[in-house]
Amino acid sequence: MADAHHDELGAHISPLQTYFAVFGALLVFTVLTYAVSLADLGPFAFPIAMVVAFCKAFLVATFFMHLKYDERFNVVVFVSSLFFVSVFAFFTIIDVTGRGALRPEEGYYVFQEELDAIAAMEAAAAAEEATAAGEEEAEADDDDH
Amino acid sequence: MGHAADHAHSGHSPFFQHHFIDMRQQASSAKLGMWLFLAQEVLFFSVLFMAYFIFRTLYPETWLVAHYKLDAALGGLNTVVLLFSSLTMALAVRAAQVNAKKQQVIMLAVTIACAFVFLVVKYFEYMSKIGKGLLPGNLYSYSGDIPGAPELFFTVYFCMTGLHGIHVVAGIIVLFWLLIRAGKGHFNSGYYSPMENVGLYWHLVDLVWIFLFPLLYLVK
Repeated sequence: MADAHHDELGAHISPLQTYFAVFGALLVFTVLTYAVSLADLGPFAFPIAMVVAFCKAFLVATFFMHLKYDERFNVVVFVSSLFFVSVFAFFTIIDVTGRGALRPEEGYYVFQEELDAIAAMEAAAAAEEATAAGEEEAEADDDDH
Repeated sequence: MGHAADHAHSGHSPFFQHHFIDMRQQASSAKLGMWLFLAQEVLFFSVLFMAYFIFRTLYPETWLVAHYKLDAALGGLNTVVLLFSSLTMALAVRAAQVNAKKQQVIMLAVTIACAFVFLVVKYFEYMSKIGKGLLPGNLYSYSGDIPGAPELFFTVYFCMTGLHGIHVVAGIIVLFWLLIRAGKGHFNSGYYSPMENVGLYWHLVDLVWIFLFPLLYLVK
């Protein structure tokens, strides 16, 4: 069963070149990670950094952890854990980013638009009261004489 | 070990466990067990990554300023050290696959040495933080000005790198066990499950750091 590319258990033996090439690629990606952080990419900086990290992770998982030549079920196990982390991340992120800013003076989270709308309503109500009070006073003055 | 004198070694490894059909199935089962554990480890670390994202979303200005207190050069060095240790670990497993006993021992020794270098660098990093009062939660006592909630950033920093560091220490202990067994010639082309599975664990430790480094040290 054993030959140049398989051991006695029939498992695949990666050539030395494969391991060194993957290590070289990982070093390149590490330099790229650092370069991405220095470059001014604006809002794309974070997603690109994560893409680079995922590339490194893919290389480690596929070649160092031998998933490329391994039984498919081990791949399913690993990928499923990533899937459930994604579910976890998805709901957490839409919750946290979907809130307004923390307003300590209000004591809770509220959207700025809501605050503005409340302020506008209160201002309108105050203005209405002022005009109504003014009208009443004018009427009272009229009644007086 | 369960190998009675009446049972002559019928060509199988002394480490064959008879409730398995053959060595191949034994190795396959052991590897599946390790992958299930690694799936758990991914979920385990994901909790801290979520805490990182929640606090980063709520206090972006803190993250942008506080992360400069971390030494990105040391973080980068640790990244390269761990990547190299992953390479030597993979080469150690390969050495077992091709019956190269001396190479197994050398590669394992280098992996352990790299792990120690990682811990030493982390020690210096932690000492620097502690000295400046850049500590988690209530312990935070830094005199400089970092906007928002810097104690949260350092809570996340110490919890994530601390948990990762504990995994490195556990890895070192297991690697030493492997080193001793490899030195005794236990592993060969027909039996190398312990090597392979510890290797998988070690690659996961590396994987976690691959994400920790840009998220903590290179925030943008």
